[in-house]
Amino acid sequence: MAARWAGRGLWGRRQGRRFIYTPAVSRLTSEEVIQMRNELFNKEKERQLSLYPRIEKIEVKYTGKSHPGSVFVMNKALSTPYNCAMHLSEWHCKRSVLALVDGEAWDMYRPLTKSCEIQFLTFKDEDPEEVNKAYWRSCAMIMACVLKRAFKDEYSVNLIRAPEVPVICGAFCYDIILDDRLNDWKPTNDNFRSLTRDAGKLIHKDLPFETLHVEAKVAREMFQHNRYKLEMIERKASQNMEGIVVLHRFGDFVDVSEGPHIPRTSFCFQYEITAAHNLQTNQSELIRRFQGVSLPVHLKAYYIVWQKLLERSKRLVTEEKYLEAAAEHHEAKDGTEEEKAASV
Amino acid sequence: MRLTVPAAISHGRVFRPLGLGPRSRLDLLRNLVTALVRHERIEAPWARADEMRGYAEKLIEYAKLGDTNERAMRMADFWLTEKDLIHKLFKVLAPRYQPHAGNYTRMLHIPNRDSLDRAKMAVIELKGNPLPPLIRQRRDSEKTLLNQLLKGYREDMQQAAAPQAPGGTPV
Repeated sequence: MAARWAGRGLWGRRQGRRFIYTPAVSRLTSEEVIQMRNELFNKEKERQLSLYPRIEKIEVKYTGKSHPGSVFVMNKALSTPYNCAMHLSEWHCKRSVLALVDGEAWDMYRPLTKSCEIQFLTFKDEDPEEVNKAYWRSCAMIMACVLKRAFKDEYSVNLIRAPEVPVICGAFCYDIILDDRLNDWKPTNDNFRSLTRDAGKLIHKDLPFETLHVEAKVAREMFQHNRYKLEMIERKASQNMEGIVVLHRFGDFVDVSEGPHIPRTSFCFQYEITAAHNLQTNQSELIRRFQGVSLPVHLKAYYIVWQKLLERSKRLVTEEKYLEAAAEHHEAKDGTEEEKAASV
Repeated sequence: MRLTVPAAISHGRVFRPLGLGPRSRLDLLRNLVTALVRHERIEAPWARADEMRGYAEKLIEYAKLGDTNERAMRMADFWLTEKDLIHKLFKVLAPRYQPHAGNYTRMLHIPNRDSLDRAKMAVIELKGNPLPPLIRQRRDSEKTLLNQLLKGYREDMQQAAAPQAPGGTPV
């Protein structure tokens, strides 16, 4: 491996004397890409930290049910909702998954920037929809990390995106394009078991999910080798007013995501990667959808129930069916409301 | 009072001496059974409630035999000091517990009594009573992750068992 890397470096330098230097070609090894992304992430994080050289205090009001009327005095751009939970109790630290800051869902480890109102969301609330979505996103990201590292360096792995699937579908998924030589490869049960074991190792390491809000051009520089990620960055930047893209990192895997994630990987308890399907698209490359199912530490399932959920998660999960169902549900609701209004 | 050490050790003794003597103990328990049948939920010292529980369940078993039965009527007459409760026992409680076989009462602990004796208290109630429940079951909401996954699984099973035509006709 070291000889191969050195050889490529020499070749690049020799070419540089004769031709125009093309940086994209020299950085195709995955470790170098990972290192580059991590360096950029760290640099951006330090830069954002250095914007506040002096510590300023902000007042954060707690609007939850357990300690009504508490006010925390925290540091601006340094304290996180997790620090606020530490002031309340250990139960709050262990149980809360997301923080509701001024009505918006925030990660637990994202620094607070101004005085606001805070509330903590757990898995067992009355309406844990945001929490469920964040959990599904985090599980998909863990699966992406596992898949990226699973193959040998000579086979290229291109991550596309994690489709936003509702929890009731029964599985989280990640779309991925593998090397052309693997087009006929069908993953077997043993392959899935080893992928699951890799994911288990990551979960056991208890890595925190770090968030970073960066401008679109920094994100573009990080993901310059992956055109699908670039498209996603463009889409996210156009949706946002200031052109800011949210990146998440755990360990040394960085990814663009659509919303907040759970605080640590140890929140997952039962995790399994169950199936891989080939998506039918009009593109020339074969897009594969890897699926899995997971449950958090707070909502463990008995093993018989878990087996049934695993069986169900092996079926292909598509977004369109549920978007249609949601649209029909909305239409039906509007219809009944109109009837009620007419009868009154 | 047990003033000698050997008399104070009570390993393995199941007999509880309540009240002033055997007759007094029976009267005490009879009053408690009457109160239980009248109010269907009472608070009492734990030892008395525990002792009374067996007698109350045996009384209900006698009541299940029917009020024409001579022995059942004599038992109800002895144990219920207020005679209007005999009618309630045979006409309300016996039919209520006809499908059950035993375990007609529920006994739970209560914080110790506030007075000087700090006695260990219990609440004893007849099951199926019309009062609000003692323990509220905290069920997880329908929308938690596990419940949503199970709901999806259940719907899939139902669809597989009874395949409906797409765009079903309104019933």
